[in-house]
Amino acid sequence: MNKTFRAALAGLVTSTAMLSAACAEDIKVGLLLPYSGVYAALGQDIDDAFALGLATFGADSGATFEIVREDDEVKPPVGLAKTKKLILQDEVDVMVGVVSSGVLGAIRDTVDGAGVPLIVANAGNDEATGEACSPFITRISFSNQQVNRPMGKWMVDQGVKKVFTIAPDYAAGRQMIDAFTTGFTAAGGEVVGQEWPAFQKTQDFGPFLANAKASGADAVYVFFAGGEAISFVKQYDSFGMKAELPLYGSGFLTSALYVEAQGPAAEGVITALHYVPTLDNPENAAFVAAFKEKTGRIPSEYAVHGYDSARALVEAVKAGATDRETLAAALPKVSFTGPRGELRIDPATNNIVQPIHVYETVAGADGLTQKVLATLPAEADPVNGCAMPAAVN
Amino acid sequence: MTTDLGFWVLQTLNALQLSMLLFLLSVGLTVIFGLMHFVNLAHGSLYAFGAYMAASLAGVLGYWGGFFLAPLAVAALGAVLYFTLIRSQRRAGPMAQVLITFGLIFVAVDATRLIWGDLPIGIAVPAVFEGQLALLGVEYPIYRLFIIALGLAVLAALTLVLTRTQVGAMIRAGVDNDQMAACLGINVERMFFLVFVVGCALAGLAGAVAAPVLSVTPDMGLQILIPTLIVIVIGGLGSLKGAVAGSLIFGFVQTFGAVLMPTFNSVLIYALLAAVLVIRPEGLLPAKG
Amino acid sequence: MFTHTPLRLTALSLLAIGSLAYAFVAGFFGLEILAEIAILAILVIALDLVAGFGGMVSLCHGALLGVGAYAFTVAANAAGLSAFPAMVLAVALSAGLAFVIGAICARSIGIYFIMATLAFGQMAYSFVFQSPLFGGDDGLSGAPRPDLSAIGIDLTDSRAFAIYAIAMVALTYLVAAATLRSGLGRSLIGLHHNEKRLRALGLTVWRAKATAFAISGALAGLAGCLAAQHTQYISPGLLSWTVSGEALVVVILGGLGTLVGPIVGAVLFVVLKHEISALTPYWHAIVGMILIAVVMSRANGVFGFVEARMAARKPKPVLQKADADA
Repeated sequence: MNKTFRAALAGLVTSTAMLSAACAEDIKVGLLLPYSGVYAALGQDIDDAFALGLATFGADSGATFEIVREDDEVKPPVGLAKTKKLILQDEVDVMVGVVSSGVLGAIRDTVDGAGVPLIVANAGNDEATGEACSPFITRISFSNQQVNRPMGKWMVDQGVKKVFTIAPDYAAGRQMIDAFTTGFTAAGGEVVGQEWPAFQKTQDFGPFLANAKASGADAVYVFFAGGEAISFVKQYDSFGMKAELPLYGSGFLTSALYVEAQGPAAEGVITALHYVPTLDNPENAAFVAAFKEKTGRIPSEYAVHGYDSARALVEAVKAGATDRETLAAALPKVSFTGPRGELRIDPATNNIVQPIHVYETVAGADGLTQKVLATLPAEADPVNGCAMPAAVN
Repeated sequence: MTTDLGFWVLQTLNALQLSMLLFLLSVGLTVIFGLMHFVNLAHGSLYAFGAYMAASLAGVLGYWGGFFLAPLAVAALGAVLYFTLIRSQRRAGPMAQVLITFGLIFVAVDATRLIWGDLPIGIAVPAVFEGQLALLGVEYPIYRLFIIALGLAVLAALTLVLTRTQVGAMIRAGVDNDQMAACLGINVERMFFLVFVVGCALAGLAGAVAAPVLSVTPDMGLQILIPTLIVIVIGGLGSLKGAVAGSLIFGFVQTFGAVLMPTFNSVLIYALLAAVLVIRPEGLLPAKG
Repeated sequence: MFTHTPLRLTALSLLAIGSLAYAFVAGFFGLEILAEIAILAILVIALDLVAGFGGMVSLCHGALLGVGAYAFTVAANAAGLSAFPAMVLAVALSAGLAFVIGAICARSIGIYFIMATLAFGQMAYSFVFQSPLFGGDDGLSGAPRPDLSAIGIDLTDSRAFAIYAIAMVALTYLVAAATLRSGLGRSLIGLHHNEKRLRALGLTVWRAKATAFAISGALAGLAGCLAAQHTQYISPGLLSWTVSGEALVVVILGGLGTLVGPIVGAVLFVVLKHEISALTPYWHAIVGMILIAVVMSRANGVFGFVEARMAARKPKPVLQKADADA
């Protein structure tokens, strides 16, 4: 980053700092989410829950929050342009959002260089809180490895020794499966085969299923999300494989958002995720009821990211943060008990530390529901090359 | 694994299933092109519309209600498109057609989002076709066998119509030379309309049968467009035989490429298309010449 | 034959003055949009060169742009080249790739040409998407901007970068116009009208087509370098066929085969996109409807429409044609 640009930004920061001193209770939030494109439904869930979170917790912070929304269209260049707009034109105090890891990768340097705190409300790529970590980027959602690693040991403990893995061939797919494989083999399991169907180009998983069936594995472990998750689960069931070869996976596979479309095919699938709407705790009960009342939908894991992002922001403001600099310093220090359980931020990486819930999709009174089988203890991710500057922490 | 007979049977069935689905889509597109010289990029959107209609109707009338009514709904939409956009652009050249139908894709994607929302939806396989059938030593989903059978039935019916009936003879004459056909007293306009609407209905049918296997999403029309175009270009535009050949080649290359050469799979089909175009610039079995 | 009619010269001057004036007064986001317009303008000039004048409607220009962007970024980051040598390398690579594609597709015409270029574009996309060398789906960051501090220009400043991008549009336009006026350009236009005749006259058709395609590819590669420098981050989405499709839309919206029209189209498209997307997330539908309306109107895009209206107002300058480019 060049000196002039830095100087200009520094000037901007001081001028906004002086402005915010005048009216300390105004926090301008830039919400960067996909409102169109393949992740539009996710963006809407996060948006609704973020607004709900601000309405629920914001009142007793004494601050007023103004939200500026921008659509990143799931396109990295668009996300970057909108980020620059939010930072330089709207002069927001804090940014919240980012569903796609590609968009996060694109805006990372800009956010870091401008010194604007960013609360990541979804994107799970490991690098964001690894080698590309930043004191200004706090992740309140999850990391790809976090969700999958503990499942390896748990499955071995359940007596599953040989596994075949399938995931789409792109960065997130690789990270999810690699983290699982690491956990699984460390606990004594064996991965007997792997398939990597082309991402977003594979509609028929039949060819890959045949290989899984012939591999001699005890179970299949997969990661898919969105439309691919629906197709995969249905096709897995249609080949009659669920009975002889149980299906396990990363919890996005049978997300509450998609399980209705999967229908009975999803019954009995066991997956692990950091949130399911059926978690039994008072915070979650309140959240589910409020979200249902507001939107008519059951909250997904994406919704909880939005809700907790709002909570984290409010906690930071309560701790005395008023502008970019103080928010950036306060955000990594927040900790609270939310719908997911006890949350804190790992100071070494600014990634969230949270329990992981293993759940089975079962038939309930009105449609499919999630039965929590186990809650695996919270575990901080390895530092993975993250060198956090000491000055800010 | 590859020495096991079951593997080859299973993957051949998978390939056939994909081929037949693509055949249902591409045959309408290719005959419309052969007859009217009209490039309809929005054909994939008609397929998506068929899938959404089938999913919605299945909720009310059951699977078969969607199966029979969705193609009709898509045909009706096709008729509307024909009279508003297609007919006046028939002589406007391929550029105008490509762009108008490209614009239609944009409109169609957002229209489905507005009507059905952003979340993917799914429908169940009809009860009669649930489960698997033992076939040559493998267990294969009955619904997929139904797709293969349906594709073959449509192929047989179309072959019969095109080769054995007067309408078929008129269409073949129109593909060869539409002006000459008009001179012979064939009502070319009416024939165009008929072929266009039937092509749309087949795209709708493809959407309806694909809906229980895949997830129904706003961008499914865009996703299927490129494979469909590859099929008709490899096969040769305008011919039924070309659509069959193109569908089979695509289905088999895609399926066996995925399991035997996973690293090259996504490049494989494009390389094949390029190779075909270099050796035979008009595709393998074009309608003319 | 490509000529600079008074109308085209007027439009060019207006575009140049307007964009430069705007570059000096615009706020931050205006400058971002200006750079975006400039990059799109370079791509559509490149596309109009082959599609509008040579009849080679390409759906791989997005991929050529992407190859330029990736080559630039990799050359600058991994190979450690400074920005200008990296740009030269990237442009040369895009040109080379375009030459090969042009040579292979030279025999195909019409829809077959479109499909063949689509196939090559998708091959490049799949290759970049899958290769871990290029960061796959996550893309690559850290593309540098050229260092012009020696002459007192700081390209990390948005204003300077926007002006630099406009200068590159001007350069692109000059290259395209010079190409069209050269022997090659005349052959290209001739090929579009009657390929058989030119073949009979002894022209090596494939070589003319491939060379024209290579020049167009070089310009697309330049657009790619600028795109990489602008966002300083690249992802496989740059190579997607929808980028090519969008470029084609812009060419048509502006006016096919006018070279000036596509620039007008780029301005309209980017501004419309930003204005409408601020109003509704369903802006694609509105852009689609505008596109349909423009094509249905049978005008050759916005600029083509103006040209046709101006031409209708005065008698045809039949005799002036020969000395128009003198």
